[in-house]
Amino acid sequence: MGFKVGVARNFHRATGFAASRMDWDPDTQAMLKVAAGDKQAFAWLFDRHHASVARFAFRFVGDAARAEELTQDIFVKLYRHARSYKPTAKFKTFLFRVATNHCLNEMRRGEYRVARLTAEAPAEDDAGAMQMPGPDGDRPDQALSGRELEAAVGMALKDLSDRERAAFTMCRFEGMAYRDIAEALEASEAAVKSLIHRATLAVARRIEALQAGTVPARSRA
Amino acid sequence: MSCAFEEDLTAWVDGELPPPHRARMEAHLGTCAECQGTERLLRLTVARMAELPAFTPSPSARRELLARVDALPPTWRERFAHILKPGVLVPSAGLAAAAVLTLLVAGRTRVEAPALEEWDPGALEVAANLELVEDYEVLGLNSSEDLEVVENLHELGVQ
Repeated sequence: MGFKVGVARNFHRATGFAASRMDWDPDTQAMLKVAAGDKQAFAWLFDRHHASVARFAFRFVGDAARAEELTQDIFVKLYRHARSYKPTAKFKTFLFRVATNHCLNEMRRGEYRVARLTAEAPAEDDAGAMQMPGPDGDRPDQALSGRELEAAVGMALKDLSDRERAAFTMCRFEGMAYRDIAEALEASEAAVKSLIHRATLAVARRIEALQAGTVPARSRA
Repeated sequence: MSCAFEEDLTAWVDGELPPPHRARMEAHLGTCAECQGTERLLRLTVARMAELPAFTPSPSARRELLARVDALPPTWRERFAHILKPGVLVPSAGLAAAAVLTLLVAGRTRVEAPALEEWDPGALEVAANLELVEDYEVLGLNSSEDLEVVENLHELGVQ
């Protein structure tokens, strides 16, 4: 992918960003091309990141079809607002800021409700595209099957606040650092530490209870 | 949970505690059974997240998204960039130049004076007596009837 020097120069002027364009990672370079209207660069970014965004959206709303819709909306928003991207921020952080804001806004508007993931087996023709592993009974410390674990995590996530769920998802499923999560959520690192701790502990307690048999997996569906 | 260190346990497990806090946490964990239990639970939970089924987006997602992006109305910037393309700019500039030329030619034709024989006889008479008319205009006479009266004053016998 060639790089448009003119675009880079404009960004230098506009942002005062001191680093040379050689320091920019491929995502940043592609995003600058998207800002200049390059749809091929946009398709390239989509190929690289859509699985992450879809996973985030899925964990956020707990429903595969809604997650697909949200992912599309997030990428359309990314394309339309490409010119507001400043290469001072990591592209993935910028992307997850867009994704988080979009998901939080949709939840506030009441268009989406967090679906409870149940331990019920999905129908054969279910378009959810979930890949469910089989039971894992040969490990004594992990008596829960994949489906039960999925259900326990889904139920715990449903009971979290939107911001706790967003922080937990970025941390546990995307492996993002607290600092980047703080940037995506426009919060302090201390706040993010607290959000992730509460969320992780809630999920841990739910799994623990389910594993101990004190909470039947199918009763909350 | 009442231990003051509990709040930092997840950050400890994630390796996100700054060095001074890390050293204190390490020392504390050696003495607090409650925090040891919570730490074990947190580590197990974090490890089990990797066992969750993967979410695979539908294969048609890319095609659908690119179709949506293609269907977006062009921004002002895109429209301007389109205009600046040589394939659009050159013919447009040619058309604009032709239009300007046409207007100039038409304008020149409109202001061109007609031949002398095409002039109205009355207008020619006024032109011949322009000096006199100007004098009358100074007097405030602007109607042709007034001018005629003035012209024939001698016939009225005015002294």
